[in-house]
Amino acid sequence: MSEHCELAVIGAGPAGIEAALAGARAGLSTVLIDQAPAAGGQYYHRSPGAFATPHPTAVEREGQALADQLGPAGVRRIVNALVWGLFKEEDGDGWLITASIAGNNASGTPLKVHAARVVLATGAYDTPLPFPGWTLPGVLTCGAALQLLKSQRVAPFKRVLVSGTGPLLLSVAAHLIDAGVKVVRVCEANRTPLGAVAHAPTLVREWHRLSEGLRYGLSLARGGTPYTQGWSVVAAEGLERVERATIAKLAADGAPIAGTRQTVDVDAVICGYGFTPNTGLARMAGCGFAYDRAARAWLPQRDPHLRSDLPGLYLAGDGAWVAGVGHSRLEGIVAGVTAAFDAGKIDAAGLEALLAPVRPRLAHQRRFGLFLQTHFSPPPGLATLAEADTLLCRCEEVSQAEVRAAVTDGARTLGEVKMLTRTGMGNCQGRMCERGVTAAICRANHSDAAEVGLYAVRPPLVPLTVDFLIRAGED
Amino acid sequence: MYRIKATSDLLPELTRGPALTVTVNGAAVEAYDGETIAAVLLAAGLWQLRRTRRRGEPRGPYCGMGVCFECLVTVDGTAAVRACLTPVTDGMRIETGQETAP
Repeated sequence: MSEHCELAVIGAGPAGIEAALAGARAGLSTVLIDQAPAAGGQYYHRSPGAFATPHPTAVEREGQALADQLGPAGVRRIVNALVWGLFKEEDGDGWLITASIAGNNASGTPLKVHAARVVLATGAYDTPLPFPGWTLPGVLTCGAALQLLKSQRVAPFKRVLVSGTGPLLLSVAAHLIDAGVKVVRVCEANRTPLGAVAHAPTLVREWHRLSEGLRYGLSLARGGTPYTQGWSVVAAEGLERVERATIAKLAADGAPIAGTRQTVDVDAVICGYGFTPNTGLARMAGCGFAYDRAARAWLPQRDPHLRSDLPGLYLAGDGAWVAGVGHSRLEGIVAGVTAAFDAGKIDAAGLEALLAPVRPRLAHQRRFGLFLQTHFSPPPGLATLAEADTLLCRCEEVSQAEVRAAVTDGARTLGEVKMLTRTGMGNCQGRMCERGVTAAICRANHSDAAEVGLYAVRPPLVPLTVDFLIRAGED
Repeated sequence: MYRIKATSDLLPELTRGPALTVTVNGAAVEAYDGETIAAVLLAAGLWQLRRTRRRGEPRGPYCGMGVCFECLVTVDGTAAVRACLTPVTDGMRIETGQETAP
């Protein structure tokens, strides 16, 4: 199967939906590609179509209202699609997107999409934090917990520890408590940000978020759940799944303070240490990346119109820089209308007319994103939680000691450690271990993440069966 | 067993799809149309979805959004299916606890 379009948007979350709508409304034949059956992405958490939700939440209504605009705007949707490759067309301009449709994804129906322009709106995932026991069943991310609680309506826990950074912890805890789960404690690794006062003008305009926070606080009070700042989970233990967890007080840099460890009996530990942009396709395509010291992350390079440094490739939303739903939606609009302008569908005056109302709102959302980044990023000392035999690479089961040995043998970059130890070569293609291995290299080598680099990403982005690849090649 | 019955403004009223028949390692397990394999297994209290090849350790769902590949199970004979993304279907045969790799 193959499709042709003027604009392909990869990812149907807040940024992707807006980009597709903006592109289609400006006259581009537009395709929106996503792995899920329903548009909405991780934020809108739309319930499965087979479930009846007579009283959707405000967030669900917002997601539904956005998704409902796709059809009338003329956006063609490709659902249940696992995108595994993004390539420059061999003959001439444009991009080739390769995907596996439905089936069991690793061996579905091969699809090729030929697109003159592509917006990557690939979203973000919870930043993994390695600590002793973090691979036990029952240690899971905030994203996983919210998916289970909100969308699937399953709460497979009795007593839970919630640990991490940022306001999302409160949301997870409140949903757990409302579901009847005992939340023994919420550990926020950062401390009350006094510097946050400087952000007051930004926060006042985010009143809805503050009132949401108060709502979560009410659930915590009802559940008798303490919220403690400057604490974190430091270990999980159990035979076949989590049976207990250890927490500790953290120094200002995030390293645990000796003598403060406490053990709590829990059957799950839910972790949310911020988000990492899902940049695999941008890397595969060859986009330029730069190390951003404030974000402590490698970020794809973009111009103010969200063009990457490659022609016809745009990056929008949390898949490029994490700042949440409001920011992502606005970036989607910018990328979509810019693609239409670059394609000649609208002129400079038309572009300006569409972008002028977006700019001040986007500037505000960027300030909010910077506030979160400044005050709720995981403190660097958390990297000391991993012990010698703690796995950093979950897929290939590579421990911190093995990564250190590779550094002793002369490895200086992620790529070199990968060649010596197989970190990042497993099913997740390095998305789970990149941060942890980077931190281990930096500590062992007294170097800087900017020197350690990134994993190279090559197709296929996700594991595929040999049978599928043969069929894709014949197509 | 662990399906949420309580409702609140955060978790408003919801009706699941019709009941389906699935088997997990040969045993019938309660499931409803629209649920993912991961939700069905966790609702039944089954957390150990696979074993790792090197250390033989148990693993369960971690990221919940298709990124980590920890929740791989065998479905109707096809290995390495992500339980967190795949909806159950009537008559589905699910096997857990295997050393799964694509």
